[in-house]
Amino acid sequence: MQSQVLAWFRGYVEVEIRGRNIETLLNEAAETGCPVWGVRRVGEGTVRLYTDLRSFFSWRPLLRRTECKIHVTSRRGLPFWLARMESRLFFMAGMVLFVFGVYLLSQLVWQVEVSGNERIADEEVAAAAEELGIYRFQWKFRLDEPQRLANELMRRMPGTAWIGVEIRGTKVHIRVVEQTVPEPRPLMSPRHLVASADAVVTEILVEQGQVLVRRNMRVKKGDILVSGQIGDEASGRTVVAKGSVKGLVWYAYTIRSPLAHQHKVYTGAEKTRRYLVLGNRALMVWGYGELPFQTYETSILRKQMKWRKAELPFGWIREQLKEVDVTERTVSESEAKNIGLAQARADVLAKAGALAAVRDEKILHEKIEGGKVYMKVLFEVEQEITRELPIVQGE
Amino acid sequence: MTRQWTKTIRRKAGEWLDLPRDLVLDLPRIIMIGNRQLTIENHRGVDHFGSGLLRLKLDEGKLELSGEDLVIRSILKNEVLIEGVIREIRYLPQ
Repeated sequence: MQSQVLAWFRGYVEVEIRGRNIETLLNEAAETGCPVWGVRRVGEGTVRLYTDLRSFFSWRPLLRRTECKIHVTSRRGLPFWLARMESRLFFMAGMVLFVFGVYLLSQLVWQVEVSGNERIADEEVAAAAEELGIYRFQWKFRLDEPQRLANELMRRMPGTAWIGVEIRGTKVHIRVVEQTVPEPRPLMSPRHLVASADAVVTEILVEQGQVLVRRNMRVKKGDILVSGQIGDEASGRTVVAKGSVKGLVWYAYTIRSPLAHQHKVYTGAEKTRRYLVLGNRALMVWGYGELPFQTYETSILRKQMKWRKAELPFGWIREQLKEVDVTERTVSESEAKNIGLAQARADVLAKAGALAAVRDEKILHEKIEGGKVYMKVLFEVEQEITRELPIVQGE
Repeated sequence: MTRQWTKTIRRKAGEWLDLPRDLVLDLPRIIMIGNRQLTIENHRGVDHFGSGLLRLKLDEGKLELSGEDLVIRSILKNEVLIEGVIREIRYLPQ
C-alpha cells in the first residue's frame, strides 16, 4: 500500500465493479501490480475499491476477460482538482491575483515612524526623510540601504547626534538621538551692582564690570560697588556687571528671654466626640458626658460630602480632646541668655542669606526684669552685599 | 511428481538447516493485530470475498476468515491486508 499523500498527488478514483468473477479480477489486478486498496463489498456482485489513476486504463483487458463492468463513482486527487480548476479559470486567476496583490502591498512602505526627538519636530524629520525617498506608499526595493539612509539623514539634519533607520515589514522606523545643546544664556540688561546695606567690604570677586571699591572700604547702602559703565565718557559702553562682593554688616537685636519655660505634655487621656453636620449646624452624636480632665487640646477632623466638585451640606466632624499637663521649668540666667542668643543668631542668618556667617557678637546691655532677661546684642555678619541696579539708558 | 519431489527436499533441507518455515515451504505468514487487522503473506489469491466471509487460497488448502465489515485495505501479489472485525480464522483442506 502506498502513502495516501502520494496517491492524492497522483490522483485516484473510486470505482464500483459489478460482475460474478470479482475475486478473479482482484487476483489478476494484484498479479499485474495495479495498486488496489480499500476493497469492500457493497452488495451481491458489487464491490467498491480505489485504484490509481494511471493504472486505471490497464484494467480494461482484465475487465473484459472476467466479464465485469466498471463504473467510476468519484475522482480524487490533484489531477482532477486541476482539471476542475481549469474550468474555473477566472476563479483561479483571482486567487493568483490576490496572492500577487498581497505580495505587492507588502512591498510598500505603509508607515514612517519617528521617535526619540524632543526638540526637532516630527514633520521636520519626515520632510528630510521624504527627500531621501522615505515616504508612505514608496516601494521598499527602491529604498537605499538603511545604514546609508541613516548616514544621509544625519548629514542633512543638524542638531542630531545619531539617526537610525530600521525597515521592519512595511514600517520604517526612524530613531533620532538629539544633540544636547547647552541652554542659551538669559539676556540681561546692563546694570550696576550696588550695596544692599551699610557695610565694610571684605571680599571682591568680579566677573564683569568696573570695580569701584577696595577691601576694608566702608560703603553705604546704595553705593555702586561694581559699575556697569566701562571706559571713559567718550568711548565707554555699558555692560552687565557681574560678581560677588562680601562685606561685614551689623545687626542690632533686642532679645527677650523668659526665665520660666512652659512645657505641654500629653498625658495620654483623650476623648472623642463625633458630630453630624447639616448645613451650618453640628449635631453631636457621640461623646456625651463630662470631661474627665480640665486642660486639653482639641484637634478637629472635618469631612464634607462631595458630589464631583460641589460640596453637599452634609458631613461629619471628629473632635479629639487630648489632656495636656502643663509643667513649668525655670532656667538659670545664663541658660536663658544662651537660648535667646541662639534664637537671635538663627534669625539673623535667615535674614542675611545662605552664605552668611556670624563673625562677632557683642552684648551691649543686659538686665533682668519681671522674670525675663532683656539684652541688646550687636551681630557682625559677613554676607553678600550686592544688589542689582539696572542702568537706565539715555540718562 | 517433480514438484512433490522438490518440496520434500526443501522440507528436509529446512529442518536440517533450521530455517524459518515460511521462507522454505511457502507457508503463509499471518500477522494479526487484535481482531482488527490481519496481514497474510504468501497467499495465492482471493477465492471468495464478502463483507462477512473471506476465503484466501494458499499453497495447500484455503484460509477462511469470518467476521463483520471485512475490507481489503490493500492487495499485492503475495501480501494482503484485511481490516474489519475478525471473528474466526479457519484452515480448510483443499
